[in-house]
Amino acid sequence: MRSKRIVLGICLVAALTNRIPLYAQKTVVDSALLDRVSELEKQMASKKTGEDHFMVVGLTTVGFASNKTTNTLGGVSTSTKSNSFPDADNYEFSPMFLWRHGKSFLMEFEPSFNNNGLSVNWADISWFAAPALIVRAGYFVLPYGTYAKREAAGWINKLAPDPMGIADMTPTDYGVEVEGGIPVGSTKFSYDVALTNGNQLNPDGTLTSGNIVDNNNNKTITARVGFLPLSNSSLEVGISGMWGKVGDQGSPNQNIMDNSYAFDLNYVKMYSPILLNIKAQYNIQNIGNVNYISPVDSTQTYTFKNQTTASFVQCSLRPVGAAGFMKDLEIAGRYTVFNTPSNSTFGANQHDITVGLDYWLTWRTVFKICYQAYNGNSTASKTLSSFTGTTTSDTFFVQFSIQL
Amino acid sequence: MKKTIIIIVAIFNNLLLITAMYSCQVSHKVISKSGVQLWAENCQRCHNTPSSASFSPEQWETIGMHMQTRSLITNEERNKIVEFLKQ
Repeated sequence: MRSKRIVLGICLVAALTNRIPLYAQKTVVDSALLDRVSELEKQMASKKTGEDHFMVVGLTTVGFASNKTTNTLGGVSTSTKSNSFPDADNYEFSPMFLWRHGKSFLMEFEPSFNNNGLSVNWADISWFAAPALIVRAGYFVLPYGTYAKREAAGWINKLAPDPMGIADMTPTDYGVEVEGGIPVGSTKFSYDVALTNGNQLNPDGTLTSGNIVDNNNNKTITARVGFLPLSNSSLEVGISGMWGKVGDQGSPNQNIMDNSYAFDLNYVKMYSPILLNIKAQYNIQNIGNVNYISPVDSTQTYTFKNQTTASFVQCSLRPVGAAGFMKDLEIAGRYTVFNTPSNSTFGANQHDITVGLDYWLTWRTVFKICYQAYNGNSTASKTLSSFTGTTTSDTFFVQFSIQL
Repeated sequence: MKKTIIIIVAIFNNLLLITAMYSCQVSHKVISKSGVQLWAENCQRCHNTPSSASFSPEQWETIGMHMQTRSLITNEERNKIVEFLKQ
């Protein structure tokens, strides 16, 4: 009996001695866990992003162009050859700074180093005021067609050169803009309306844009309506208009209007294994009648119908469903027509065909090889000594473009 | 030429108006689209579909806003695409 009590006593002591360290150990573990949680909380607090965000993206395009141009005037043909690093019309190094303030404000600033030296592509602030309402102010690309605003970047453009005239007829200007996308049924609309200083009429009948001081008291309205009739957004058609006075205030031309229209189409659809991409745009610019001072005799004036048209149709095919190397290749072709006013000092009927092969290193990095055949017939005034005959040229492009 | 343009604009506007009148509500087909589907359909309208690994979640928020000002996708589309790309 006594021995039983001794055994029980030993068991009790053993149990107690075992439990005491167990309790102590549990307390130690909990404390370490709390310390760790506290440390993680401090780390998270130090990495809290806040409501603002700043980032730098951008793009660069470099390349090479080799050109042979033949001009025929008065039965005499003259040929010139040139080649250069880079292709001057398309070289650019453009970092883009994006500041986001919460989910309501976005500032965009894109300086650019290109063949014009240092310039600015856009500098604006957008306020995301409501689900289908973005209000923007500053210096921005106007909603005239879609090429200049959406498709011109080197890493987006399927071909090395731009289509003649299209981007040049789309101003970047100072002003305010409202825009948005609206779903309706299985379709979508988009609207984009800008009020800006407007273009300025030059002494030869051409226009310049991006004037921080307006040359008259009239503001230019530019508007585009886009319609996506298919629920998969594969097709978009758009109509744009630009209306505004272009003459200098107080001059005889102060009421001269620029009425321009643009029609655009975009169709992107997968026909397995090929991705088909068709883009097209037609621009027409009408400037009122003006008596211009003759460059030959400043005591004389001349006039002409100041209408300019530019259009292109582009098709590209990429076998994205193919295996290996093939899926990164894309072939593209484009036909462009650019007609400037006859009997002016710069009139010409021009067209070109451009074909190219792209190799996509990543989704935003492309290497392009392109060939362009150009033909231009001068319609400029002979009496103003501006007629330049017929010009043909063949250009070979190599281009690399990346978005960072 | 001026008359032709006015007629084209008028036809286009009427088309928009008729479509709007007959389908004021967003269809179930459109509402039920996932972020990945909208990413595949909308991004490639202008450029190749981006890899989600290219930017951080915070950066995708900012880029989503920038892209909306260019492509004029709807708010719903932007939010779903950005959420997909943040994963």
